[in-house]
Amino acid sequence: MCIALCASCKKFLDVTPESSATTGNAYKTSKDIEAALTGVYNTLYQEYFIWDRVLLGDARSDNAYSGGDDQEINQYDALKISSSNSRTTFDYRQLFNGVARANLVIDKIQSVNDPQLTAERKSQITGEAKFLRAYYYFELLKLYGNIPLVTDFGSVDASKVNVPAATPDAVYKQIIADLNDALVLPDDYGQGASVNKSRATKGAVNSILAQVYAQMPNPDYNKVVTYCNAVINSPAGYDLHPIYNQLFDGSHYINSEAIFEVQFIANTAQANWGPQLFLPPSLTGDAWRKYCTPSVDLVKAYDSEGDIERKNTNILMANAEWADEYWKPCASAGQIPFVFKWEHANGYASGDYTYLIRLADIILLKAEAQNELGNISGTDGAITLLNKIRGRAHLTGKTMSDKETVKTYILNERRLELAFEGSRFNDLVRAGKFTTTMNALQEYKLNCGNADRELVNYAANSDKMLLPIPASELNRNNQLKQNPGY
Amino acid sequence: MNLNAVCISTRRLYPRRIIFLVVKMTTLMLLISVMTVSASTFAQKITLKEKNASLDKVLKKIRQQSGYDFVYSDDILELTSPVTVDLKDASIDEALKQSLQNQPLIYHIEDRSVTFKLKDGALLKATAGQTIAELHGKVVDETGRPLPGATVTVIGSINKTLTTDVQGEFTLIGVEQNAKIAISYVGMTTQSFNYTGQQNITIALHPDAKELNAVVVVGYGTQRKKDLTGAVSIVTSKDLEDRPATNFGYSLEGKAAGVEVIRPSGKPQAGISIRVRGTTSITADSEPLYIVDGVQSATTYDLNPTDIESITILKDASSAAIYGASGANGVVLITTKRGKNQKPTLTLSTYGGVSNVVKRLNVLDRSQYIDLMTELNEVADWTKYKANTNWQDVIFRDAYTQNYQLALNGGSDNTQYYVSGGWIKDDGVARNNSANRYNFKVNLDQKVGKIIKVGTSVLFSRWFDSNIDDNRGSGKGGVIMNLLTSSPVIDIFNPDGSFTANPLRLSFNNPAAYTDGAINGYNNSRFFGNVYAEVNILSSLKAKSLFGYDYATDRYNYFLDPFKTDFGRVNNGLANLNMNQNSYWLNENTLTYKKLIGKHSIEAFGGFSMSKSSYEGSAIETKNFSSSTVTTVNGGSVINKATGSRSARTNQAIISRVNYAFNDKYLVTGNFRADASSVFGPDNRWGYFPSFSVGWRLSQENFLKDVSFLSDLKIRYGWGKVGNDRIAAYSYFGQVGVGYNYVLGGVLNSGTGPDTPENRDLKWETTIQNNLGIDISLFNSRVNLSVDAYKKQTRDLLFDKPVALSSGFSGALQNVGNLENKGIEFALSTKNLVGDFKWETNLNLSINRNKVGYIADQVLPVGAIYQREEAAIIKEGYPLGTFFGYVAKGVDPQTGMEQYEDFDNNGILNNDDKRVIGNANPKFTYGVTNFFSYKNFNINIFFQGVQGNQIFNATRIETEGLNDFRNQSVTVLNRWTTPGQVTNIPKAVADDVNNSRISSRFIENGSYLRLKSATLGYSFSPAIVQKLGIQKLGLYVTGENIFTSSKYSGFDPEVSAFAGQNGVSGIDYGTYPQVRTFIIGLNISL
Repeated sequence: MCIALCASCKKFLDVTPESSATTGNAYKTSKDIEAALTGVYNTLYQEYFIWDRVLLGDARSDNAYSGGDDQEINQYDALKISSSNSRTTFDYRQLFNGVARANLVIDKIQSVNDPQLTAERKSQITGEAKFLRAYYYFELLKLYGNIPLVTDFGSVDASKVNVPAATPDAVYKQIIADLNDALVLPDDYGQGASVNKSRATKGAVNSILAQVYAQMPNPDYNKVVTYCNAVINSPAGYDLHPIYNQLFDGSHYINSEAIFEVQFIANTAQANWGPQLFLPPSLTGDAWRKYCTPSVDLVKAYDSEGDIERKNTNILMANAEWADEYWKPCASAGQIPFVFKWEHANGYASGDYTYLIRLADIILLKAEAQNELGNISGTDGAITLLNKIRGRAHLTGKTMSDKETVKTYILNERRLELAFEGSRFNDLVRAGKFTTTMNALQEYKLNCGNADRELVNYAANSDKMLLPIPASELNRNNQLKQNPGY
Repeated sequence: MNLNAVCISTRRLYPRRIIFLVVKMTTLMLLISVMTVSASTFAQKITLKEKNASLDKVLKKIRQQSGYDFVYSDDILELTSPVTVDLKDASIDEALKQSLQNQPLIYHIEDRSVTFKLKDGALLKATAGQTIAELHGKVVDETGRPLPGATVTVIGSINKTLTTDVQGEFTLIGVEQNAKIAISYVGMTTQSFNYTGQQNITIALHPDAKELNAVVVVGYGTQRKKDLTGAVSIVTSKDLEDRPATNFGYSLEGKAAGVEVIRPSGKPQAGISIRVRGTTSITADSEPLYIVDGVQSATTYDLNPTDIESITILKDASSAAIYGASGANGVVLITTKRGKNQKPTLTLSTYGGVSNVVKRLNVLDRSQYIDLMTELNEVADWTKYKANTNWQDVIFRDAYTQNYQLALNGGSDNTQYYVSGGWIKDDGVARNNSANRYNFKVNLDQKVGKIIKVGTSVLFSRWFDSNIDDNRGSGKGGVIMNLLTSSPVIDIFNPDGSFTANPLRLSFNNPAAYTDGAINGYNNSRFFGNVYAEVNILSSLKAKSLFGYDYATDRYNYFLDPFKTDFGRVNNGLANLNMNQNSYWLNENTLTYKKLIGKHSIEAFGGFSMSKSSYEGSAIETKNFSSSTVTTVNGGSVINKATGSRSARTNQAIISRVNYAFNDKYLVTGNFRADASSVFGPDNRWGYFPSFSVGWRLSQENFLKDVSFLSDLKIRYGWGKVGNDRIAAYSYFGQVGVGYNYVLGGVLNSGTGPDTPENRDLKWETTIQNNLGIDISLFNSRVNLSVDAYKKQTRDLLFDKPVALSSGFSGALQNVGNLENKGIEFALSTKNLVGDFKWETNLNLSINRNKVGYIADQVLPVGAIYQREEAAIIKEGYPLGTFFGYVAKGVDPQTGMEQYEDFDNNGILNNDDKRVIGNANPKFTYGVTNFFSYKNFNINIFFQGVQGNQIFNATRIETEGLNDFRNQSVTVLNRWTTPGQVTNIPKAVADDVNNSRISSRFIENGSYLRLKSATLGYSFSPAIVQKLGIQKLGLYVTGENIFTSSKYSGFDPEVSAFAGQNGVSGIDYGTYPQVRTFIIGLNISL
C-alpha cells in the first residue's frame, strides 16, 4: 500500500507544461523541426530587423538624425553610445538568440527520425539554419566587432558560455564555412516566387558571401566579384525592377530584384510595426515626433545629383506640428522630411515588407569590387555597373575616372539607392571613410526666432566604428573585454 | 436541550433555588399541577408543641395544619438540629420563625407556598449527583459591562462547558458540590472558584495584562501565549477595529515588530507588499505565505477586515517551519470570526469618509513655463494656447469612501454560525479611480453526536475597480508624472471634444486623457472556502480532515475610444478583454494528541497534505471600431491578439510537530516537515525542513518565584530550516515556446523557440534561521517587553542567474548564492494608568540588516528609469535596495553643467564611474500606539516612523531634467543661467540628459515620523442603549495620515515604485501619494 501511495505521489507531482513544449518533446517529427526552423526565421521579426538596423545604419551615419524623443537613439545620432544603452543590449541579445535557435536546429535535426523528413529537405533545413546563423553572426560582427563564437545549443554553464571573444577572423571563418554549407540551398523551392524571396536561397547565400568578402578587414575582391556574378547570373533570374518607386509602394514586393526579404501580413501578430515609427502624422494618424529624420546632408546629396525619383521615393516632406532642431525650429505647422521607405503605417500593423538583400545592392557591390580590382571600364566594369543603377533612377551615367573618384561615385550611389535600408554606416566603414565623412559634416542645430545656429561636432574616430559590448554582457561573461573607447 | 429549557423556565418562576417537598418533581408540568392543587386548600392557625424533635417532623406538622405547600430539599435538613417549639394559634410566619431559630435555613412565603433554603455561607454536605442544584451567574468586565461569550467550564466528574449569553449570564444546573468552575474570556485573566452551593454569583474578570493565557493561533493549532517558543506577532480584531480600512494589511503597518508593510501606491487598489524580517530571495517570491482559516490564500485584497478575528505572523523558522514549503518569508495566519454560543447578535459597522492629497508640488505656471521653453528653444505659437492650468487641481479631488458591513453571530451548544455581508466603495483621490467590493461570509460549526464536529468557512467576494497608471514616467502614460509634467498652457479639451496635448509634442496628451480617455475596469469574483470534520477519537486524540478550495476569476475590460486620444485615433479605437481563472485545492489530514500527565504536557501532531493550483487565462485585443457606441471587443473589426494558456503545479507534504512542557517551566517544540513541489526536477522534489525551539520560564523557578515585581520571564531560542518554491510552474523544464511564427511565401508558418534552459538540478531554496528571544513581564503585568534577535541565512538561492547572452538565453534559474538578514525587534507594552482613566502604550521597534552574499560574481542593475538607466543594483556585499549611479559634484558655475566624479579619470563617464550612492533600507522602523480611555470615551493615537533610509526621487529626473518640453517643478527657477552663478540646479539644455543622469543628485533623506492614525471613540452606556433594544452602540472619528514630519521633497515619503520586484525599493517614480483620510463611523449591535 505504501508503495502504491508513493507511486501515486510521484504521478501527482509530475505535471508537465500544457501551453508550451519542452526540450524533451519538441523535436521529434518533421513538423517539429520545420517549426523550429520557422523560429530561426522569426528573429527577423525582432526589433533589430524591424527598425534598429535602420537607426544604426542611417541615424548613426550621415543619412539621418535620431528624431523622436528617445535618449538612447539620440546617443546613436551623436555617436556617444553608452555601454548600458538598452537598445544595443537588446540587439545583441536578439541576434545571439537567433544564433542559438539556428544552433538548435542544426543540432536537433540529427536525431529526427521521421520518414516524412526527406534527405533533401533535411539538408535544406540545415542549409537554411546555417545561412541564418551566418547572417546573424555577420550582423553581430559588423556591429560589435569582438564577440564570442558559440555554435552549440543549450549550455548555460559558465565554463562553456563564458568564453573570450573570438577574433573577427575566426568569426568570419565560421560565417564563410556556414555559408558554403548553405550553398546546397536551391534557387527555387518550387513553391512560387514569394517563397523564394522569403526563404534563404542560393542567391541569398551568394549575396552574403559577396558582402562578407567585401566587408572583411582584408577584403577578397575576386571572391566578391565571383559571388556577385553568381547572383547576377543566377538561374533565379534576378533583375533590376524597372521602376524604383514601385519597389516600396507596397504592391510590388514579389519582384525580380528581391533576393531576400522579410514578409509581413497586415493586421496580424505578424504585421510590421516599424513604418508607424517613421511616417508622418498624415499617414499614421498620431501626432508624436517620428524617428530617423532624413538629414540636410542627405537631401543635399539627392539634390546635387538631381535625383528626384529616389529622393521622392525615400523621403516624404510632410507637415509636423513639433519643432525640429535641424529643419524647423519652431513648434508650428511646417514641413519636414520623413523616411518613406515603407508607405503604410496601418496603426502599427503594416503589411509592408523589408528588403534585406536586393539586386541593386549586389550590383553596386560588384562595381565596388571591380573598381578595387582596377576593372573600372568595360562592359563588366565598375562604371557600367554603376550606370546601370543610375539609369534605372533616370540619372545620366558617370564617365570614366580614376579609382578614387569612382569609389566616391559608388559610395554616393549606394547612399542614394539604399538610403534607410541600414547600409550606410557599413558602407562608410568599408570604404574607410567613416571618420572623415562624419567629421566633415556641416549639420546645424537651429533656433526658433533668431539666426543663431550651432554646428554639430560628431567627434568621430575609429573607436566609434564599433558599438560598445553591452555592459550587462561584460558582467555576465567576465572573459569579454570592452571595445576600445568605451 | 430539554434540561436546559426546564432550567430557564424554572428560574423564571422561582428566582431562587427551589426544593420540592413531598415528591421530587422532574418536569415543570407536574410541578405546576401539584402546586395548583395545594394552593386551593384553606390555611389555618397553627398549634404545636414539640421538644427536641427533628425539624423534618416539625415542618411536616406545620404544613399539615397550615395547608401551605412547603418546598425544600431533603438534604438541607441534614444540616439542621432538633428543635423545641411551643405554638398556639400562631400564624404560619410565627410558627416558621420559631421553628427555624438557630437553624441555617431561611424561608420565603409566596402565595400559599413556602420555600426553604440555606442561609448564605451555610455549607451543604456533599452529596454528589443527588442534587439538582442551579447556579445562576453573570460575567462582567472590570467596569461592570457584561461579557457575552465568556467560557464557563465545570471541572468535576462530569465536565461541562458553556458560554455566557448576551447579558453575560449563564445558568448551570446539576452542579456538584466542590466542583471547580472556571470562567475565561480572551484577553482576561481566567478566574475559578469552588462551587459550594452558591446560587447567584457575579464574576468580574480583569484584563489579563500580559495575556499569558491568551490563546494564540499558530500553525495548525493554537497555543497559550505563555507556551510559545517561537517569534510571533499578534494582531487582534481590536487592532483592526482601531484602524478601519479596506485592506487588513494597513492595520499591520507599524503594529508588529519585524513586519514591514509596503504600500506601493496611495490608490485604493494598490494593495500591500509585506516583508517579514527582510527580503529573503532575489528571483523567488518574497511575500509571506497567507493562510486564511487553514487554507493558503493567493490574494488578500478581497478579505473583509471586519470578518477577521485575529492575525498571527509567524516570523522565525521554528514557528513557520510547519509550513516548510513556503515558510521562508514568514507566515501570516488569518483567522476569521466564528459563531459563538449566544443569542443571535446582529452588528452593523459602517463608516464614511473623505480623502485628499496632503501635499501639492509646485510646478511652473504658464509664463514660467513659456520662459523655460524659450530658453530650451522649444517654441510654439503660445498665443494659440491661452490657459494657465495646474493639472494637480484638475486630477486630484476629494474622494469619498463608504463602508457597510453587517454581521450576524450566534448559536447554541451544538451549532454556531457567523454570517456577514458588506459593501465598500473606496474612491481614489485621482479622477476616475475607484475600487468597489462586495463580500459575503459564512462560517458554520456543527457538533454531530458527542465526538464529531463539522464546519465550513466560505467567502465570496466581488471586486470592481477602475485603475489609473502610476509608478511610471510621463512618456509611458503615468498619470501622476503627467500631472506634474503636462504643459500648463492647455485646457482639458480641444474645441472638437478631443483631449488636448502638449503643443510642443502633440503625442503627450494631458493627464485627464489618461484618467478619462479609456474605459477600464477589473471585475473579479472569488470563492474561497473550506469544509472540515474533526473527530475526538479519544479525549486526548483528535483527527481532522480539511478540504479547501479557492476559485477566482478575473476579468479586465479596456476600451479606448477612437477619437479622443492620440493612441485611440491611431488604432481607430482599441478594446481588450482579459480573463483569468485561478483555482487551488488543498486536502489536509491531521492527527493531534494532547495529554497532561502530571507535570508533563505533551502534544504531538502529524499529518499529510496535498494541493494543486491551476491557472488558465485568455486575452483578446481588437481595434478599428466604427464608433464609441460599442465598447466590447466584438466592436473592433481587426483582431490584434487572441491568446490563451494554462498551467498547473502541485505540492505534497508530510507534517509533524511535538510540543513538550514540563511544569509550565521548560518548553520544547520540534517540527519536521517534508515537502515536495512539482516545480523542481524529479530527483530534487523533496525538501526536508526541521526545526526546534526551547523556552525556559525562569519566573517559574523557585529562585524567582518570590520576586514580587516579576510577573513573567521567559527565554526562547529557536533554530529551523524553511523553504521557498515560489517560482513559476515547470521551472526545471527546458521550455520551448510557441508563437515564434513567421511568414514564408506570404503564408503564416507556426514556429517554436527555446524559452528557458533546462535545469533538472533545480531544488528548494532554504533559509536557516536562528532566533533568540526574551519575554519580560513586570509589576503585575503592567510592563511587558519582548526582545527578539535573529539571523536568517538563505542558501541555494533560487536565482535567475544572468547568463552570457551569447548562449541565446538571458537567464537561467539556478540554485546559486546566498543572502542574509539579521536584526533585532523590540515590543514594549505598558499600562501606565489603570484606574478610571486608563492609558496604555504599545511601542515596537525593528532593526533589520540585509546583505547579499555570493551571487555567482554577478551584479544586477535593477529599477530601470525610462530614458535613463537603472537606479539600483543587486551586488555581493551590499543590501538589496542599494542605489547605484554617478556621484554628482554639483553645478559647474562656469558651464552650468552638473559635474560627476570621473573615478578613472579617463574623461568619459561610463559604467566604471558608477558607485553606490544610497541605501533604501532604514536603520530602524518603529510604531507607537497610545490608548486612552475615560468612562465612555476612548482615544487611540498611532505614530509610525522610518529612520535612516534614503529615497531615490526619480520623479525629479522628469520634473527637474530641464531637457525638453515637459513642465518642471518650481525649483528649476534657480537654474543656472549666467557664468559664475553658483546654484544647485544646472542649466536647461535641450535633448541633453547629462544633467539628469542617475546620480546622487536625486538621493534624498527618506526618514519620516507620521501620525498614521488617531481615533476618538464614544461608546454609549449599556444601561442607556439597552432601553432602545440595542446591545452596544459606538461612534468614532478617525483620521489617517494626519501629520508627517519629513525632509522629503516629493509628495510623500512612503514610496516604492517597484514593489513587485525584489531588491528595488525606495524609488519614487511618479508614485501616487498616500492620502489623508477622515472618517466617521458607527458600530451598532442588536
